[in-house]
Parts: sequence; structure tokens; C-alpha cells
Amino acid sequence: MFNLFLAVFPEIFIINATFILLIHGVVFSTSKKDDYPPLVSNVGWLGLLSVLITLLLLAAGAPLLTIAHLFWNNFFRRDNFTYFCQILLLLSTAGTISMCFDFFEQERFDAFEFIVLILLSTCSMLFMISAYDLIAMYLAIELQSLCFYVIAASKRKSEFSTEAGLKYLILGAFSSGILLFGCSMIYGSTGATHFDQLAKILTGYEITGARSSGIFMGILFIAVGFLFKITAVPFHMWAPDIYEGSPTPVTAFLSIAPKISIFANMLRVFIYGSYGATLQQIFFFCSIASMILGALAAMAQTKVKRLLAYSSIGHVGYICIGFSCGTIEGIQSLLIGIFIYALMTIDAFAIVLALRQTRVKYIADLGALAKTNPILAITFSITMFSYAGIPPLAGFCSKFYLFFAALGCGAYFLASVGVVTSVIGCFYYIRLVKRMFFDTPRTWILYEPMDRDKSLLLAMTSSFITLFFLYPSPLFSVTHQMALSLYL
Amino acid sequence: MIISILGIRGILLNRRNIPIMSMPIESMLLAVNSNFLVFSVSSDDMMGQSFASLVPTVAAAESAIGLAIFVITFRVRGTIAVESINSIQGAGPFSLGERIRF
Repeated sequence: MFNLFLAVFPEIFIINATFILLIHGVVFSTSKKDDYPPLVSNVGWLGLLSVLITLLLLAAGAPLLTIAHLFWNNFFRRDNFTYFCQILLLLSTAGTISMCFDFFEQERFDAFEFIVLILLSTCSMLFMISAYDLIAMYLAIELQSLCFYVIAASKRKSEFSTEAGLKYLILGAFSSGILLFGCSMIYGSTGATHFDQLAKILTGYEITGARSSGIFMGILFIAVGFLFKITAVPFHMWAPDIYEGSPTPVTAFLSIAPKISIFANMLRVFIYGSYGATLQQIFFFCSIASMILGALAAMAQTKVKRLLAYSSIGHVGYICIGFSCGTIEGIQSLLIGIFIYALMTIDAFAIVLALRQTRVKYIADLGALAKTNPILAITFSITMFSYAGIPPLAGFCSKFYLFFAALGCGAYFLASVGVVTSVIGCFYYIRLVKRMFFDTPRTWILYEPMDRDKSLLLAMTSSFITLFFLYPSPLFSVTHQMALSLYL
Repeated sequence: MIISILGIRGILLNRRNIPIMSMPIESMLLAVNSNFLVFSVSSDDMMGQSFASLVPTVAAAESAIGLAIFVITFRVRGTIAVESINSIQGAGPFSLGERIRF
């Protein structure tokens, strides 16, 4: 019985930390004796510390994974795959929380509940990654989405922010409804919600010829619900609006953390839970459409956050290439793609947050960044080149491995579309770099130097991006282990 | 099941005002819930009923958050017409011709 608690100890810790921080924030920020202090930085640092302690608990608890056999027939399963995914998730959450502190100071953003909600959604994403049952998956997805609806609308006086929150709410509620409909169809046709049972029922599905329309509809609706949540095309309706209107730290969270956890969940459902019944065509179509739209639509953008939104849509398309071929190599390339995507996105959003002082919204405002702030310009161009897939940066390695995996499983059209859209996408990334280095803006903008946390974060991520090609084998072997343990 | 499809249609084809959006969402979740209960009774399994007791919790929390967001949207804007949700404008992929400038 004690093994049960040991196995889920990181989640227990982060739930307790969330509630203690909530109570601490409420008690002290409403105390008249201390003159109602705004506690957001305080709670923020404590929240960051608790995320790091959770990471430590998770990383040090590796031998306990094999002991938690009480879990295995119920809702959660922890193995190598969830171990590394959760480590990645906690690392990216820690990185994005550390980006926020400057934002709180400048915008005079006093609500400490922001951090509490982020911690709660992190906990739910930890559950989501290790979820092994349709019920647990749905509940964890809902908890994470609900927290994000609130923080997307957290700047209450701003029209942009409330509209982004409204759109995100409607989109998220709609997609959760579709997901739940798919779950109910699958439950109705198979009588099972646990992924082990589903795997046993759906293994020979294609071969037996007993086509059940209920299972087909169920898988289709679950796939559509998931694709809504990772903002793949053609289900990306309001995603650029949401990314643009939310406050920038929230956009950073939105583009990193849910994607990691929802991809992990998708892998469980579609590769483990229903390997025979998965509609591969829908993922092919969505990845091709996402790549094409991400490349073409980003060309016409004039605002930085919208450009990053469209480029993340395109990148999701590339990552779905690894998903569409169901081989181990495909899964491994997907996981490498997610890891590198998370690091690049943390980098990009740290830079956007650093340039925030003078409200840089439009790309044209970045003009002549090279003359006023050369190191920032070089970092930004490294990140943009990595997004574009220029060797020898990390983005190139991830795209190369994704196309390699696609070719290896025979998806030649997918790989060729990927290469073509990658080349088309180079255009607008390099245009951004050109604006920074070679353009002169109409009004010169003076940027303050950024604070210590963001500069540390930028140094770590951009050094990883540049030096990844020298020693990529730890990441490759880790993701290979993850992909293997997914199949077992 | 038909109710949930009507709910999907209701969200997509909303032309009146914003708080009405929460009704199709609720009806979708409730219809799916009854779907679960029917399947659980017909296949004599308990999992459907346990799921069906958890889903309305989520639905209630979501409608509470939805109403809170509608209220702050109304406070900022002063209107609840659906047409006014267009302050975030972007250049879509179809305005490419005039936008490319080197």
C-alpha cells in the first residue's frame, strides 16, 4: 500500500504545494496589518521552487517505477516513457515560470493566483502523461484546460485578453465535448475504457473484418478532439487569435506545456491503445495541411506573437509526421522533435518577453536590433535559424530525423511536402533576421537590458541549440528508450 | 447522441449573443453523459456509471469559468453581441499579395 504513495509522490507534493501556496497567498495578501501586499513574485518564486523539487522527486524516484504494480490495473501507469516526458514537462514549466517574473513587475500584475493555476495545471499535466484510462485522460485534460482558460483571460481590463480567454474557452469546451463523445462511442462499442483492455480488443481490428461503426466514430472523434487541442490544421480556427491576445507568459505556456502532455497522451491512445484501428489518413492529412498552412500563413504576418503562433502550428505539423508513421523510429523522431521544439519555443518567448519593455508588437519594431542590442539579436537569429531548420542547429537535427523516419516507413509524399514547406518557411524566418540586422525603423527603440533569470534561460537554451549537433546521442538513446517502453 | 450533435451545431452557428454559447456546451456534455449511462446499463458494466458521475463535475466547473469569462468580457466591452468579438485581427493567409514587401 505504501508503494502506491511512493509512486505518485511527485504529484502529491505538487498538489500540496499548490494548496499551501494558495492559502499562503490568500492569508497574507488580505491581511490589513501588512498593508495588503501583492504576493505574485513571492508565490512565483515559491512555485518555481516547488516545480524544481517535484522534478527532483520525480528524477530520483526512478527505481520506484517498477514497484508500483498496484497501479497497473487502474488509472495510471508509470514507465520510462512517462518518466522522461514528465521530466521534460517540469523543466519547461520551470523555464516558463522563471520568464514571468519580469513581466509581473512591469505590468503591475498582482494576482498571485496566476502561479497557483499554473502549478495546478502542471499537476494535471503530470497526471495526463501517465494516464492509462479514458476517464483519467479526460479528467486530466479538463483540469489542465480549465486552468488555462482562466489564465488566458487574466488581464481583466484588456479587451485583447478577455477576448482571447473567451475564444479559448469556447474552443476548448467544444473540443473536450468532441473528445468525450469519442470516448463514449468507444466505451459503448467495446465496453472498456482502460488502454490495456482496449489494446487487447482492438489489436486485430483491421484484419478480422468486423467493422464496427461505433469504434470508427469513436476513434475519429477522439482524434479530432486531440487535434483541436494541439491546434493542428484544419482545427486551428482561433489558435492565432488566442496566442496573440493572451498575455505573453500565458502564450509561452500555451505553446509548450499542453503540446507536450497532449502529444504524450495521443501516443498512448493511438499507438498503444488502438494500434489497429487508428485512422492514419487523418493524421497524414492534418500534418500536411499544418505544414503548408504554417509556412504560407506566417508569411503575411506583421505581429511577432502571431508569427510565433503560426510557426508553432507549422511545427506541430512536422511533429505529426512522426506520429503518422506508426513505427518506433517515427515515435522516436516525434519525441526528439517535441524536446527540441520545447527548447526553441522557450528561447523564442524569452526573447519576446525581454523585448517587451517598449511594447514590441509588430515585426517592424525589431528593426536595427543588431545595433542596439547585438547579443540579443544574435540569440534571436540563432533561434529563428533553428526553427527554419538550418544545419547545424538543433532544429535541423529534429527535422532531419523526422523526415528520415517518414521515408523509412514509406511516406514519401509526407517527407517531400515537409521538405518543400520547410524551405518555404525559411523565407519568413530569415526575413525576421534581416529586419533585425539590416533594416532601420522609423522610430528608434531603446531596449532595457533583461533581468538575470531570462538571460540565464536564454544562455542555456541557445547553447543547447547550437551545440546539440556535437553530442546528440544522449537524447537519441533516451527517446529510443521512451519509444520502446511505449510499445511494451 | 443526437443532442450532442445538435450541441455541436449550436456552438458553430451562434448568431445572437455570447452567453448563449454556454448552453450548447452544457447540452453536449450532458448528452454524452447520458450516452455513457445507456451504454453502461446495456453492457452491464460499472465503468460507464462511474465516468458518468464524474463528468457533470467537470461540466459544472467549466460553466462557472465560462460565466466568469463572459462577465469580464461584458465589463470590458459593454455589449454581448457576437459580432463584436473581432478586435484581434490578423492578416490571414489570403491577404498575401499586398503584404509581401522586401
